[in-house]
Amino acid sequence: MLQAKDLGLALVIALAFISGPAARAGEQTVHVYNWNDYFAPDTLTGFEQETGIRAVLDLYDSNEVLEAKLLAGSSGYDLVFPTTHPFAARHLKAGLYQPLDHSKLPGLERLDPDIMANLAKVDPGNRYLVPYMWGTTGLGINPDRVHAALGEDAPLDTWGLIFDPEQAKKLAGCGISLLDDPTEVFSAALTYLGKDPNSQAPEDLEAAAELIKQVRPYIRYFHSSQYISDLANGATCVAHGYSGDILQARERAAEANKGVTVIYRVPREGAVLWVDVMAIPKDAPNPEAAHALIAYLLKPEVIAAASNHIFYANANSAATSLLSAELREDPEIYPPPEVRARLFTPSERSEREIRNLNRLWTRLKSGR
Amino acid sequence: MKGRSWPLLSVLAFGYAFLYIPIVLLILYSFNESRLVTVWSGFSLKWYGELVHNRQLLESAWLSVRIAALNATVAVVLGTLAANALVRHGRFRGRTLFELLLTAPLVMPDVIIGLSLLLLFVAMQQTIGWPESRGFTTITIAHITFSLAYVSVVVRSRLLRMDRSLEEAAMDLGAHPLTVYLQITLPLIAPALLAGWLLAFTLSLDDLVIASFVSGPGATTLPMVIYSSVRMGISPQINALATLIVALVAIAVLIAGQSMRRR
Repeated sequence: MLQAKDLGLALVIALAFISGPAARAGEQTVHVYNWNDYFAPDTLTGFEQETGIRAVLDLYDSNEVLEAKLLAGSSGYDLVFPTTHPFAARHLKAGLYQPLDHSKLPGLERLDPDIMANLAKVDPGNRYLVPYMWGTTGLGINPDRVHAALGEDAPLDTWGLIFDPEQAKKLAGCGISLLDDPTEVFSAALTYLGKDPNSQAPEDLEAAAELIKQVRPYIRYFHSSQYISDLANGATCVAHGYSGDILQARERAAEANKGVTVIYRVPREGAVLWVDVMAIPKDAPNPEAAHALIAYLLKPEVIAAASNHIFYANANSAATSLLSAELREDPEIYPPPEVRARLFTPSERSEREIRNLNRLWTRLKSGR
Repeated sequence: MKGRSWPLLSVLAFGYAFLYIPIVLLILYSFNESRLVTVWSGFSLKWYGELVHNRQLLESAWLSVRIAALNATVAVVLGTLAANALVRHGRFRGRTLFELLLTAPLVMPDVIIGLSLLLLFVAMQQTIGWPESRGFTTITIAHITFSLAYVSVVVRSRLLRMDRSLEEAAMDLGAHPLTVYLQITLPLIAPALLAGWLLAFTLSLDDLVIASFVSGPGATTLPMVIYSSVRMGISPQINALATLIVALVAIAVLIAGQSMRRR
């Protein structure tokens, strides 16, 4: 029978084994906190080979989780990838990031000037944020069912599918979903009305609220990710959503091969441009290494490989020629210039404006 | 089918189906060719091949297993001590409070445990400089706090049902109290210790909420990886990994069952 002494010894050995080797001294490490599957498989290994800095990747599933970690303080991460609006903008106000040393980031000048100008609205002088991937907020559409409801020649690239009560009524049967985000929905409604999407004028907001109220009965639900699977399996036919998510739904629908097609359209009235950015937290243990990683990700061939893998547009003008033709020529991912001219970023709102908007929003969602 | 009514059998079948169909489907789809986890398109082992090269997923699985094992071991030791105190030491001062504090984690929501531990760790780091960074250590500590409560419940009930006369006989024969405890008591409550260990292991392995609060750089546990992949679509590699885990557990249970029978 096993003696207690042996058991104790076995325990000590097992614990020493379990707690793992101590970190090797002198080795540089960069801690990266990113969305899952948001690099190419060889992005970080390539970085390690080139610089000798060890890259440790941790994953988060939502901007909120990232935000909680950053706000709690001393998160220990060197490089994070928040979505600009409203997260990175809010983090900048809270002073969570450190300014970048542009001299360590060769290749910044290759970034798309339009996107940099848009980012400068929340980050004047582009001192804190470097764009990583970008996309738009538009419409995910099941063309067969929308055409069946509205007629063969109904235009698809319009917010009218959601905000025109006549059309919305006909589409209610096959399902319309909106994002659960007041800024996005109000921007879209204001765009449809032909007003400034960032307008704060009370009469504009009232008009938008009135418009949303009219179509409220035809909206099946407000949710910011549910539509991906619902579109893919045909449970809904019009979804207000992020380009990346809807392209994923398109992919899934194609793979399932059950006769559901999904397309993404940027409405001709205009749409929100969203950008996921890279930023270095104020208390990052190793900002030097974080700069090195940003510089690596600014290389056209590196970012092009990432885009080719994840099917998101990047902000590097020099990388466009290196993309796979399939990606580069996809107007849903890289919209043509005339569509890009109609994209806009939501501007920052004051606390009071946010409160107003939220109040209107709660009233609308509850349908009163 | 003499003596057994079919309604009883069908209830049994329903029960088994309810418990095991999800697991069987998960295993089946790990051999699916398609990237979609819900549509069958043909037999393939490619996800196992890809899994071998997925450093992130394998490292997080290994991390989770290490945390779970260490957590279970420490929780069994502490939980057994706590159960001993409650069963063997009568009405000591502060007993009610001790009992209350010990069972609190059983009913406390994960979110509250996670958040309060996170705040504690941050405050400790700022005042005494430890833990230097959050990760393996903090997740393990957090898991021990709630696992310990479960272990003590299991061990306590076993201690209560144990025949004390065996211990008394050993002491009559002149055995030292420590020897009695190690040679008589521990082997008698061993099944409860094993059950407590496995329970603590499982609780730790599938905890998402507490771990995501107290984790830090370099410490992404398996549940966190799985949950974070929901946005881009779950890959069948996760089915493959889960199948391997189920297989390992099944083998372990078989071996344990065999060795129990031989005794």
